[in-house]
Amino acid sequence: MDTDQLIQRLAETSGPVSRLSPPSARTTMWFALAIPYVALVVIVMSPRTDLVAKLSDAGFVIEQLAALTTGIAAAMAAFASIVPGFDRRFVLLPVLPFAVWLGSLSLGCIQTWLRFGPDGLSLQPDWFCFPAIVLVGMVPAIAMALMLRRGAPLTPHLTTMLGGLAATGLGDFGLRLFHPQDASIMVLVWQMATVFVLTAVAGWAGGFIMNWRSLTADIRSRIAVR
Amino acid sequence: MDKQFSDDRRFADLMRAVQAGDGRAYAALLTEITPRLRQFVHGQRRFLRIEDIEDLVQDVLLSLHAVRATYDPQRPFMPWLLSIARNRLADGARRYARQGAHERQVENLPVTFAEETTNMEAEVYGDPDALKQAIRELPRAQRQAIEMLKLREMSLKEAAAASGTNVGALKVSIHRAIGTLRKALKG
Repeated sequence: MDTDQLIQRLAETSGPVSRLSPPSARTTMWFALAIPYVALVVIVMSPRTDLVAKLSDAGFVIEQLAALTTGIAAAMAAFASIVPGFDRRFVLLPVLPFAVWLGSLSLGCIQTWLRFGPDGLSLQPDWFCFPAIVLVGMVPAIAMALMLRRGAPLTPHLTTMLGGLAATGLGDFGLRLFHPQDASIMVLVWQMATVFVLTAVAGWAGGFIMNWRSLTADIRSRIAVR
Repeated sequence: MDKQFSDDRRFADLMRAVQAGDGRAYAALLTEITPRLRQFVHGQRRFLRIEDIEDLVQDVLLSLHAVRATYDPQRPFMPWLLSIARNRLADGARRYARQGAHERQVENLPVTFAEETTNMEAEVYGDPDALKQAIRELPRAQRQAIEMLKLREMSLKEAAAASGTNVGALKVSIHRAIGTLRKALKG
């Protein structure tokens, strides 16, 4: 098919499309969809008994706010990365909250070391974190994947990695509302490791979730059969 | 500068109409931007032949079509378009490099009957009539895949376009067809 024919076929077969909202609006939409699910999981799993007391613990509040902000910033960056022509620097948006999140946990580890010595940093197995973060982050992750597929696969691996970070950030935020594990070293090793692994898996899956090949092959077959 | 700006605004207006489903505006827009895309692709890939440049331009047009919902008419049009074009060019270059890594240059291909290996292959292959018969007995989708991809040597994309199916379905059909033929010819 030559280019003039292709243009003709595309013009003949095109219908109206609903314009994608700006990344900020889509982030709000995603968050509005994800947060009730996170709240539901927290209620079903039953919130930790010391939750009200923990709200006056500055360390806990900073860590939770940082996790939540990382999730929102990563979602915003993911939605910006699928819009052609958008400023690429947007993908750096979650770097600062993520650094605060990691930094606050690391600071907690240092303080424990100074107070109790090496004994304070002992590790116990806490396998619950992995399935719990998957459970809390599942619906936000699915919603994110569906929303990202409507955009352009400009950087599929980076985009889904950011989407994965958004979902796991929210997952860890929810987990700590019902899982009474606050030892910084435990949170750093078990919960952060889970966040890293799931984010890496999401990044790896980027090419399968969104790619130009499948988008253009669909159109080619549609314009060929009409 | 003013002309560039007014062109961009015109494209943005046409694109707004395209998003509302106006086919005529779409044809006008694509016809106007195609020479610019050709020039852009040629500028970026000077070593390519004209037909390869045309393939890349078509890829960009198809990509534009696929993601036309991502354009916001409040924003300039050309940066949006060139971002897609640059991305598709980079994608094409990566694909080319990947294909190159799996290809091996062979100077003397053993294609004549004087070569022992080719004769062995031909002998092992068996009865061509049995093969024809086995192909005839394949289910329709598998037979069509064998005919287009193996006998007529069409590419996956071409075969998908001609048969009205997609590349994934064709790959499945060809894989199943070869399995069925192998069984039929062994039995």
